[in-house]
Amino acid sequence: MTENKHIKEQQVVDHLVSTFQHLSGKVKRERRAEVSVDKKLIPSVLSYVKDQLSFTHMSHMSCVDWIEDEHFELVYILWSPKMEIQLLIKTFINRENPVMENVDMIWGQLNTYQREIREMYGIQFTGMIGREEFVLEDWDDMPPMRRDFDTADFIKNVFFERPGREDAKDVRNEIAERSGEEIPELAKKYSRD
Amino acid sequence: MPNDKKSQKIVDIIQNAARKHSLFVLAYGTGCGAIEIPPTMTSRYDAERFGIRGMATPRQADVLLVTGYLATKTLKRVIRAYEQMQDPKYVIGFGSCTINGGMYWDSYNTIKLLDKYIPVDVYINGCMPRPEAVITGFVELQGLIKEGKANGAEKYKENIDWYRANQKKVIKNWNMPDYNW
Repeated sequence: MTENKHIKEQQVVDHLVSTFQHLSGKVKRERRAEVSVDKKLIPSVLSYVKDQLSFTHMSHMSCVDWIEDEHFELVYILWSPKMEIQLLIKTFINRENPVMENVDMIWGQLNTYQREIREMYGIQFTGMIGREEFVLEDWDDMPPMRRDFDTADFIKNVFFERPGREDAKDVRNEIAERSGEEIPELAKKYSRD
Repeated sequence: MPNDKKSQKIVDIIQNAARKHSLFVLAYGTGCGAIEIPPTMTSRYDAERFGIRGMATPRQADVLLVTGYLATKTLKRVIRAYEQMQDPKYVIGFGSCTINGGMYWDSYNTIKLLDKYIPVDVYINGCMPRPEAVITGFVELQGLIKEGKANGAEKYKENIDWYRANQKKVIKNWNMPDYNW
C-alpha cells in the first residue's frame, strides 16, 4: 500500500536503478527518496539527475563519520522544484585515505560545501580550487568534526575553565533545598544521577 | 586607588566624574548579544541619558562591549581592537558566554574565560541580558569609575606578559603589531 502512495518517488528511484549499475535506492517517505551509489558514479549520477530528471537545486552536501564501519558517508541533497521531491544521493568513501572527486563544476555552491568538509573532516577533493583555510584559523590539529577528535581533552589542554564547572554535578537538589522549593514530578526524570 | 581626598587629588575626582558620564561604546558586536544593543540605545531604553553612546572606531571609544561568545578567530580581532583603544578604556563582558563559556562550554573553538585574555571590569550575566540588565551593568561601571576602581587597563599594562602568554596559547599565528601605549 505504501508503495502505491508514493508513485512519483518510486518512479524516480526505479528510473535511477534501471539506468545505473551498482545503484540501490528506496523511497523514504512522501517527497523523499534516497539512493546510494558507488563513489566513482557520483559525477555521472549528479549530472544525470540534474539534466534529465529536473533535480536542478542543490540544497546541501554533508558528511557522516561512521567510525565503527571505518568509512565516511557523503550525502548530496537535491531538490526538484518540478516534481517536488527531495533526493538524497549517498556514497561511502574510505576513512583511511579519504579522497573524493571534485564535482563543483555541476553546481558552483558545491565548492563551498566541499571546502567545509575538507576542513571539518579532512576529506580531500581532487582538483578543487579554493583556499585551504575555510572557517577555522590556523588550525593545526585533527579535523574537529571527526569522531575520534577528543573535544573534551582538547578543551582541557587549550582553554581555561571557570572553577566549579568541571565536575558537571547535578546541583538541582541542593538549590531546591536551599531555597525551600520542591522539584516538580515532571522534571525529576531529567536528573543526571 | 580609592577615590577620596586622602589618596587622590581633587582633580582626579572631577576627572572621574566627567568620564563616567561620557562612555563611548565601540560599535562592535560578537556573538548574538549585539542584538540587545539597538533596543538599549534607542528610544525605549535610551542609554544616552547615562552618557552612553556608540562610537565608530576603537581609537575614539572608551568601552569595549564583548557581546557574547568569542571564537579564537574573533578573539584575535578583539585583542587588536582593545589594544588600539586609548586610555581610559574599560571592558564589559556581556552574557554567560564571556563568563564561563555558556552554552559553548564544550566547543573546540570558543574561549571560556574572557578575563584570562583581556581585563574585564564588569560582567553582565544572562543569556541574553535584557536592556535593563545592560544598563545596570553600565551604571555599575560608572560607579567603579567614580570610585577610581575601574583600572583594568592598568592591570593589563602591568601583567602584559601573563596576558600575552594566555593569548598566544590560543592564537597560534601571532602576526599583530605591538602597540606602544
